[in-house]
Amino acid sequence: MLRSYIKFAFRNLVKHKIFSIINILGLTIGLTCCMLISLYILHEYSYDNYHKNGDQIYQIDTERISAEDIGARATVPAALAGTLSNEFPEIEETTRLLRLFNDDKTLFSYESKNGISTFYEKKGYVADASFFDMFTYNFLEGNAATALKEPNSIVISEEIAQKIFKNKEAVGNQLRISSSTNGDHNHRVTGVFRPSKSPSHIDGRFFLSVEGGNMEDFILNSSTLVNNNMFYTYLKLKPGSDPEALEAKFPVFIRQHMGKELESKGIKASFFLTPLKQIHLESRIAENVTSSGSKKYLYILITIAILTLVIACINFMNLSTSRSSKRGIEVGIKKVLGAEKKRLLWQFLGESVLMSLIAYLLAFTTVLLFLPVFEKIAGKEIVLPLSQEIQLFAFFLLIAIIAGLFAGSYPAFFLSSFKPIKVLKGKFSNSLEAVSLRKTLVVVQFVIAIALIISSIVIAKQMTFLRSTDLGFQKNQQLIIPLRGSVAKENSLNLKQQLETNPQVKSIGASTYYPGISNPTDWLMYKEGNTMENAKSVFINRIDNSFLQTLEIKPVAGRIFSEEFTGDSENSMVINQTAVTKMGFSSPQDAIGKWMAFDWEGEQHRFEIIGVVKDFHFKDLHTEIEPYGFLLNSDNSQNYLIAQVNRGNFKDLLNSFEKTWKKLIPNEPFEYSFLDKDFQKNYEVENRLATMINYFTLMAIFISCLGLFGLATFNAEQRIREIGLRKVLGASVSSIVTLLSLDFIKLVMLAVLIASPLAWYGMQQWLQTFAYRIDISWQIFAVAILITAVITLITVSFQAIKAALSNPVKNLRTE
Amino acid sequence: MIKITNLEKYYKTEEVQTIALNKLSFEVKEGEFAAIMGPSGCGKSTLLNILGLLDDPDGGSYLFNGTEVSGFNERQRAKLRKHNIGFVFQSFNLIDELSVFENVELPLIYTGVKPAERKERVHQVLEKMQIMHRRKHFPQQLSGGQQQRVAVARAVVNNPKLILADEPTGNLDSSNGNEVMDLLTELNEAGTTIIMVTHSEHDAKFSHRIIRMLDGQKVTENVLV
Repeated sequence: MLRSYIKFAFRNLVKHKIFSIINILGLTIGLTCCMLISLYILHEYSYDNYHKNGDQIYQIDTERISAEDIGARATVPAALAGTLSNEFPEIEETTRLLRLFNDDKTLFSYESKNGISTFYEKKGYVADASFFDMFTYNFLEGNAATALKEPNSIVISEEIAQKIFKNKEAVGNQLRISSSTNGDHNHRVTGVFRPSKSPSHIDGRFFLSVEGGNMEDFILNSSTLVNNNMFYTYLKLKPGSDPEALEAKFPVFIRQHMGKELESKGIKASFFLTPLKQIHLESRIAENVTSSGSKKYLYILITIAILTLVIACINFMNLSTSRSSKRGIEVGIKKVLGAEKKRLLWQFLGESVLMSLIAYLLAFTTVLLFLPVFEKIAGKEIVLPLSQEIQLFAFFLLIAIIAGLFAGSYPAFFLSSFKPIKVLKGKFSNSLEAVSLRKTLVVVQFVIAIALIISSIVIAKQMTFLRSTDLGFQKNQQLIIPLRGSVAKENSLNLKQQLETNPQVKSIGASTYYPGISNPTDWLMYKEGNTMENAKSVFINRIDNSFLQTLEIKPVAGRIFSEEFTGDSENSMVINQTAVTKMGFSSPQDAIGKWMAFDWEGEQHRFEIIGVVKDFHFKDLHTEIEPYGFLLNSDNSQNYLIAQVNRGNFKDLLNSFEKTWKKLIPNEPFEYSFLDKDFQKNYEVENRLATMINYFTLMAIFISCLGLFGLATFNAEQRIREIGLRKVLGASVSSIVTLLSLDFIKLVMLAVLIASPLAWYGMQQWLQTFAYRIDISWQIFAVAILITAVITLITVSFQAIKAALSNPVKNLRTE
Repeated sequence: MIKITNLEKYYKTEEVQTIALNKLSFEVKEGEFAAIMGPSGCGKSTLLNILGLLDDPDGGSYLFNGTEVSGFNERQRAKLRKHNIGFVFQSFNLIDELSVFENVELPLIYTGVKPAERKERVHQVLEKMQIMHRRKHFPQQLSGGQQQRVAVARAVVNNPKLILADEPTGNLDSSNGNEVMDLLTELNEAGTTIIMVTHSEHDAKFSHRIIRMLDGQKVTENVLV
C-alpha cells in the first residue's frame, strides 16, 4: 500500500516536471535559508556556554546618568572588584580584564639562536591571576591556576605558540612584548591554551599578568570607584547565591563608597549584573569585550527565514490548488472505484510530504556546500557541537514534514472533497473561493518580496551615503603607518622626515588616534569661569604640528598647530565647533585665548584654546559629533604616522617606505592601512546586513517568480479555449498577452501598495540607528515598483506569449 | 437486485428548477442485462449516477439487494460501491499517471486485497480481456478500444454483482465497439447484472430489455429475450 503510494507520488512528480521543479526548488530555497539562518542564530546563542561554573559568573556593568548623557558600559574602575569582594561575602572570586586599548596590534619579539623574529599580534589583554581559574580554558602547556601569578607572565594561544616555537615547548621561553598600552617588557610564557570551538565574548589571543607592565601601578594602586572605567570585571558568586539579592545591595554600596564624588560631578550611577552566558546577546551594552550580537538583527533574520519558508509553502499550496481541476478527474475516478475521502487525503498529503522531503535533502546538501560562503557573508565561523547539529537537522526534517503537510493540506482537503460525478462530467470549475485564495496568496508573496526590494534599496542608499558623506577631513589618499614598538616610536620623527623626502608624499602627520578608530581618551573639562560641576566630556587626541594639515581639518577661528609657531606648548589646545557650543562659548572667536581645564586629585590642569576647527566625524556616522580637543604631543608617544600621498605608483611608494622603515627600525615589521578603508570598517555590521538582505531578497524574488510562473502557466492552460475563441474572432497576439498579463500585474501592484508602508516603517526604524541618515524618498518606491513590474512582466508574459501564439484550432479541439 | 420506486431528482439553478427524474420506477433482476435509452437530457445519466450511488435522489426509494440505500452516507456508499458495483464510462476515465496494470489494480487496493492476490487477479482479468501484453503501457499509449477494454477490466476485477456502463461504445469505432459489447455479454452470461445507458440501437440489442425514457419518466419497456 505504502509502496504504491510512493510509486504513484514519484510518477506524479516526474509527469508534471515543471510543477514539481517549481515546488521542490522553491521549498529547497526556503529550507536552505531557514537552515543557514538557524545555524547562525544557534551560534549566536552558544556564546560562553562551555565554562565550568558559567552559571555562577556575572559581569558587573554600570549605568550612568549625567546632564549630558545616559549610558551603560561594561567597564568599571580597577578598585571596584576588590571593594565589592571585601563587602559582599557571597562573592567567591573576582577577576578583571583590561584591553590593550591603545594597541591595534602588539609587537612580539623572540630572540633565539637564529636571531630575532618579530611580528604583530592582535587581541591582547592584561588579566588578573584569577582569570584562568574563573574561565575555562583548555591549557595545552602550563597550569591554568598559576599561569598569571608570577610577574611578567604571558599566556598565549596555540596559534601564536605554533608561529613562534613551531612544535617545541613554549612554556619557559621569554618574549618581548611592545605595547602602546602596557609598555615594552620581557614576559615569560607560562601557558598555552587552545581556544574553545564554541564562541566566547572574550576573544583574547594572549593575556599578560598585571604585575610587570606599565599598567601595574595603575591597576593595583588606583583607589577611585568613580573614574577610570576601563576594566571588564567578573564576579563568581558562591553556589546558591542570589544575584538579584546582590544587585539590590548595590545602591547602598554606591551611596557609601561613591556617593559624594558622584554628587559633586552630578552623576547618578548604578551597577547591574549580566550573567556570563547572556553577555553576548542579552546585554544592554553594545561595546563589550567584543561587540555584542544584535538581537534586533537576529529578529530580522528570523523574520526573513520564516518569510522565505512561508513564500515557498504558499507557492506549493497555490500551484496545487490551481492544478486541482486536472487532478479532479483522478479524484473522481478513484472515488467511483471506492476510494474513501480519508485515503485520498493521505495520498495528497503524502505527495506533498514526499516533495518536501526531496527539498529537505537538497537543502541539506546545499547548506553543507554553501556554509563556507555563508560564513564569509556573516563574518563568523559557525561551529556547533555535533549533537546540536544533529538536533538542528532533525528539527528541520520535522519542519520539512510539517511544511509538506501544511503546504499540502489545503489542496488535499480541497481535492479530496470533490463530488465525483461533477468532475467526471467536466462540470468542475475552480470555485470562487479557491480563486480568491490563490490571488491572496500571490499578493502575500509579493508583499514580502517587494518589502525586501525596498529594504535592499534603502540599505544600499544609506551605505552609499555613509561612504560618500563629507566627513570634514580628507579621507582619501591617506596612508596609515602604525608605530607599535618602542624603537618605532622613538624613531617616529626621524622616520617622518625621511618619508617626507619621497616626492609622492604631500604631507605627514603623527597622532595617538585617527578618525574612525577607537578614541578611548576623554576628559571631563570645564571652561574658564566654571567648575567641575559643569564639566563636559571632551575626547582628546595628541597630535604633532602637521596632523591637522595632513587631514585637511580646517580652522574656523584662531589657528591650528603648525611648524611656524614653535611657541605652542603641551597646554595649547585646538577644539572643534561642538566643543565650543557644549562648553558654553558664545562663538568660536569667543573661545580663542580662553582656557579649559580639568581637576585631578585636587589640582587644576589648564589648557589654552588657540584655535577652533570645523566639526569633523572622528567617529562613524552612527553617532553625533561630540566635543573634541587636540593637544600637541612633543614626546615619543605617537601611535600612528598618517601620510597624505599623491596619486601615482603605490607599489613603488610602499616599497620605498618599507625600505626606509627597515633601515631605521630593522626589528619591527612594516605595516600600513588606508584611512578610508579603516573608517569603513565601522560599518561592517551594516555591510553584512546589506549583503544578507540582498541575497535573501534575490531568493524571495526568485521563489515568488517561480510561483507566479507556475500560476501563469496554469492560467494560460485553463484559458486555452478562450484564447482560441478570441483568436478565431480576430484578437491580436498583443491583446491576448495583455489580457493574460494584466490579471497578474494588478495583483502585484496591490502588493506594492501593501508592502510600501510596511517597508517604509521597518526601514525608518533601522535608519534611526544612525545619527546621520538618508531620507526615504518616493524615488526609492518608484524604483522598487519598476523592478517588480519588469520582473512580473517577464515572468508572466513568457507563458502569455506562448499561449497567444498557439494554434487556435488545436486549442478549440481540446474541449 | 435493484428496485427503484417513485425516484425523483431535481436540478435547481437560481430561477429554474429542472426535473431530471420524475417518479421513476422499475426493477432489474439479478443476472439481467438492461439497456436504458432516450434522447439527450431525458435523465439517463442521472439515473445511472443514482444507481451507482454517485448521486442522491431527492425522493423515492432505492433498494439494492433488498436494502434501502437512498439514505446512505458517503462512507456507506463508498463501501457498497467498491464491493458491488463496477463502472464503465464513455470516455474510459483511466488515470493517465497509472499503467494498465495499476489502473486495473486500483479497485483491489481500495478493497484491501493483499498484493500477491491482487497481482494474480489483475493478470487473470487482463488475460481474459486480451490485453495482458499491454499491462505495462500507459493509457495514452493505447488505442480507444484497448483503453475501453482496460476500463472494463478495471470494472470487473473486483467481481462486482452489478456493472453500470454509460455509453461504453460512444467513443469507439464499430469494430472496437462490438468487441466491448461482446465482452459485456460474456460477463453477463457469467452472471453479472449489467445496466447500460446507450444511444445506439445496435448496442441495445445486446441486452435483454430496453427501458426507454423521456423527460425523466419511463415511456416504454421492450423485452428482447
